[in-house]
Amino acid sequence: MRIPVVMATLAVLVLAAGGRLAAHHAFAAEFDGSKPVTLKGTVTRMEWINPHAWLHIEVKGPDGKVVAWMIEGGAPNALLRRGWNRDSLKAGTAVVVEGYRARDGSNRANGREVTTGDGRKLFIGSTGTGAPGDAQQK
Amino acid sequence: MSTRRVVSLAIVMTTVAVALAVVAGRAQESRWEAPRTPDGQPDLQGMWTNYTNTPFEVFAEGDKPDLYAGDPDRTAQGTGPGFLNDTAGRQLARGRSLVVDPPNGRVPIMPWAEERRNYKLAHIQDDWVNHTAWERCITRGVPGGLFPAGYGSGYQILQSPGVVAIVYEMIHEARIIPLDGRPHIGSRIRTWNGDSRGRWDGDTLVVDITNYNDKGSVATNVATQRVRAIPQSEALHVVERFTRVDENTIIYEATVEDPKVFTAPWTVRIPMQREPDYRMFEYACHEGNHALPNTLSAGRARDGAR
Repeated sequence: MRIPVVMATLAVLVLAAGGRLAAHHAFAAEFDGSKPVTLKGTVTRMEWINPHAWLHIEVKGPDGKVVAWMIEGGAPNALLRRGWNRDSLKAGTAVVVEGYRARDGSNRANGREVTTGDGRKLFIGSTGTGAPGDAQQK
Repeated sequence: MSTRRVVSLAIVMTTVAVALAVVAGRAQESRWEAPRTPDGQPDLQGMWTNYTNTPFEVFAEGDKPDLYAGDPDRTAQGTGPGFLNDTAGRQLARGRSLVVDPPNGRVPIMPWAEERRNYKLAHIQDDWVNHTAWERCITRGVPGGLFPAGYGSGYQILQSPGVVAIVYEMIHEARIIPLDGRPHIGSRIRTWNGDSRGRWDGDTLVVDITNYNDKGSVATNVATQRVRAIPQSEALHVVERFTRVDENTIIYEATVEDPKVFTAPWTVRIPMQREPDYRMFEYACHEGNHALPNTLSAGRARDGAR
């Protein structure tokens, strides 16, 4: 799935004009902008739920142990509008997720870019939260 | 007066009269007639959204957008502006401010209310009561539920004789506005969203709201900037006006007065766009509300690290 160029361009234009506006909560109260994390794992399921969708993945650690992670995404309607659908990340899909760790040290992260095994890049982030790099995201 | 002058005056008056008639005729032609429901109400029904790029207020030196967003320590430094979540592909207007009165585009908030807001938003990791009713999945309030939020800003208006109903996408609320002239409920009864009573003023739906509790806030979401989390008192009184100005636009206005919180009444004006294909996404707020426990657990982790 590719996000249409037009949509991305418009998003950038809107981005240039807009202020910090959306999201259910403040990024900084939950996630740590100084703790970026890159997770290589496999999708187990995607929770399409307001106010934020959650991507569930399993990550195999260096010791071979599999750990479940929860990745916070944007609002479902926002993801749908960006071109996501129920088939975007099916269970079993290999993914690399970039995001920022939860402040409480749990296996949760605020997601930004998701790259699939076949090279697709999907922006899962909720924007306007104040997450680092918000302004650079599409 | 000479005959010549009389003729000249007659020509001038005729010209003016014709010109006025033409202008009046054009005005008549361009005046859009709101459709009517079968029982004769102006028809506001349909699916509407109010996504916008217009800021809530005019920004001023001394404003603390990071604090209003719940990041008082600016730990997310360098993040710059975000953008509306659910607006990809939408052409959005960007005006000066949604606040149109006072003319400077600034809500006249009393200092004590700003201090209360500052304390609460700086301590959202400490206690759930410091979060607005929105983060707690209770309500975005009236009129706050109709302030653009960046996502989930869908509204479905339905009418039947004597009643207007508004379904709010965000928080999953339905608001019933009676039009039958019944009085407000007794003053001892206090509610988060107050008591709405509607009437038609020409083609404009006017809603008078009283009987608020003092637990909520007029505005809850981050897009409302400095007004977010400002407390409301039981003296809050709101008058809303919904006017369908063309096929695809309702102008929504709300005048807010709360003499215990604001030094003067203030008014917002927000266009609502008809978007028949828009589909609301169920806002199962409590079920999906990981933010509240995550914020509090982040606070407990912080306390433990001290």
